[in-house]
Amino acid sequence: MKLKFNYIIAVGLFTLAAGLYSCDKTITEPQRVGYTPANVDDKAGSWKTYILASPTEVSVAAPASVSSAEYLTELAALKQASASLTQEQQEAVVYWGAGAVYRWNEIARELAARYNIPPASNADGKYPVPDANNPLADPKFPFANPPYTARALAYLSVAQYDALVSAWSYKYKFKRQAPSKTDATIRVALPVSSIPTYPSEDAVVAAASFTILKAMFPGEVPFLEAKYNEHKQSRLWAGMNVGSDITAGNDLGLAVAAKVMGRARTDGMSAANNQTVTSGMIETAKAMGLSEVWLSQESPARPPMLPNYGAVQTWNFDKAALVKLRPGPPPALNSTEYQQNIDELKSIQKNQTREQARIANYWADGAGSYTPPGHWHRTAANASHEARYSEVRMARTLALVGTTLQDAGISCWDVKYYYYYPRPQQFGLKTSVGLPNFPSYTSGHSTFSGAASAVLGYIFPDRAAEFSTQANEASVSRIYGLIHYRFDCEVGLKVGKNVGQYAIDRGKADGSGL
Amino acid sequence: MKKLIITLIAACGLAGTANAQMPQDAIYMSKRTACVALMYGSSSWNTYWEHHLKRENLNIGTHTTQSLSLMGTVGISNRLNLIVNVPYIKTSTSAGNLLGQQGFQDVSGWLKYKAFNRNGFSIHGLIGASLPMSKYVPDFMPMSIGMQCRTASGRLLVSYKHPKSGAYVTTHGTLTWRSNISVDRDAYKAGDKVYNTNQVNVPNTFDVAARIGVLRKTWQTEVWAEHGSCLSGDYIARNDMPFPTNNMMSTAVGWYGKYQPHHFGINARVGHVVSGMNAGQSTSYMVGLLYLFNW
Repeated sequence: MKLKFNYIIAVGLFTLAAGLYSCDKTITEPQRVGYTPANVDDKAGSWKTYILASPTEVSVAAPASVSSAEYLTELAALKQASASLTQEQQEAVVYWGAGAVYRWNEIARELAARYNIPPASNADGKYPVPDANNPLADPKFPFANPPYTARALAYLSVAQYDALVSAWSYKYKFKRQAPSKTDATIRVALPVSSIPTYPSEDAVVAAASFTILKAMFPGEVPFLEAKYNEHKQSRLWAGMNVGSDITAGNDLGLAVAAKVMGRARTDGMSAANNQTVTSGMIETAKAMGLSEVWLSQESPARPPMLPNYGAVQTWNFDKAALVKLRPGPPPALNSTEYQQNIDELKSIQKNQTREQARIANYWADGAGSYTPPGHWHRTAANASHEARYSEVRMARTLALVGTTLQDAGISCWDVKYYYYYPRPQQFGLKTSVGLPNFPSYTSGHSTFSGAASAVLGYIFPDRAAEFSTQANEASVSRIYGLIHYRFDCEVGLKVGKNVGQYAIDRGKADGSGL
Repeated sequence: MKKLIITLIAACGLAGTANAQMPQDAIYMSKRTACVALMYGSSSWNTYWEHHLKRENLNIGTHTTQSLSLMGTVGISNRLNLIVNVPYIKTSTSAGNLLGQQGFQDVSGWLKYKAFNRNGFSIHGLIGASLPMSKYVPDFMPMSIGMQCRTASGRLLVSYKHPKSGAYVTTHGTLTWRSNISVDRDAYKAGDKVYNTNQVNVPNTFDVAARIGVLRKTWQTEVWAEHGSCLSGDYIARNDMPFPTNNMMSTAVGWYGKYQPHHFGINARVGHVVSGMNAGQSTSYMVGLLYLFNW
């Protein structure tokens, strides 16, 4: 008997030990790989730019001919650089080969997630304001909340787009073909298309993205610089571009992004956190009959998030349109309609189903995430990748989606602080997702999602129903998470779709014929 | 029947083999006896370690985890016991607006085997496993009632008991493998990286403990120190919320006692965390009702 038990224990311990060491806990993520674009978009050099007055506002010198001695020297250097790669170089080639715009959008989202944490209160019960000149101190700069992230990603996408439209105009002007088409002995590690390679679209995107992101995330310059250099190098390792392709693309990307940053410096963002405007806003809301205004539910009370963000410059419409987009008022707090809405939340709080919790969690995109604008950028980037879009068409998609997302944020913040409406938590509700620190009406998630899904539905008509369903779920998730009334969400979604229409109109008129 | 009762009493205490329900002692149920315990526990903290920074959080106030557990120990043989535990957990805070969570957490089981026993000195091998019993949300921390991991543990326990006085010293060490988990979102940040998946890697853990006490026919008293830690993991960023990937660590001290004159008995435990990382500085207590029977 004793022997038998010893045997059982020995086998048990052995199995356990084997289990401990053999169970692979590696996390696998969906891998994105490079492709030949479905359409080279050879006319993209004439598409309408956002900031550049014309695609050729920044000039690019004509390249050396492919038969010149200078070019042959470059080819020889390329042949050497791409002949044999280390493991690390190979990984860099595959990583960046998935797409220049795609990867920089992903990097920006990761930075947003890292910086999306509200500052802690200090010993005096005050919340120190993040300082752009001291970005790594506590609290870190920026606090990449949804409005901040919407703006950072919008500028990133616009800079990429303008720089790529310009690059495309020069590509098809100079028509210098890929190095491997001149010298077939060059070893290429990625699919080669017929798109001319001077200037390099990868270098253009790397330089433009680096310029925008180091301004938006000033504490990450070393990290970004390493990515920027690796990206450019990876094109040599892959045998895709000669040195002059890279240099010309780099210079173009830097110059275009510098012009885009000119807008960023004067778009009103520096005054978005002006807290002195709130007293006037509260007065206006009270004058309209609001009996109880929004109050921070945090302890100590935190000043509301970016109360003047509604005054930041919009992309696809003007100030008059912003006022026109503003919806009618929410129900009075003593109305039957209000009572029905808060009763709905109380009932969900009592009996929240697991499916309701799942939807609330899936779309929460709260602190420590890349926020709802980041979520929709991801959807747009993945859809563009799956459709095998060229770099310039992917940038167009992200610029349309990115600008509409910031427009949605500006419109929603304008509405929130115009009505200054209290959150359900002011009347005893809890939350299963965390409570944002700004007024309730209308829902930011709903406005962002309404706008992004409308634009994505225009770009990918076959998938319009899918994006619309996602937007509806994102919207209702805030009811299930108990932080928004149903009217916050329904009105927000509707206004968001109206915001999106402006970007759709722009897209239809940008010369792409899409 | 009379014989049965005598056997039962002998097994349960009077004959000096006072049982316990715990996988952390050197005490065994005799063959064909079992003990059932119904235990209520409460654990609270109002300060926690955000990485190394010890802080309070006025939007949480005091965080409390209450539990009601049903635990059973069965003597498969005199030197092999099976221990099973089913806990119901409820969380709440005294401030802020985070919604409390509750539900059946993870069923756990241990097989405890006495491999060596001579002159009061004994060596024991334990293997354990746990499985989530409900689909509770694992990453709404600190309100989640658990982490949704499946676990497998191996423990080595060494004990010496002075045969006459009943004074004992016990020490043990454990390695626990924890499975990856699925969360409701399909992207999350861990460390400085965003993972575009709903799969989360939860670190494995180890723990060590030392206990000194006296075990007599009807009662037991013990002071203990326990240290538990993850084998890897990231940390809670400044003013961020915890996440299942965190490298949590804590060292606690406490007391355990039991009184079981006949079939019925009671036990109690108090503990206090003295140091930690990515964890709450909790003070906890537990009281239990025990019932022993055989067949």
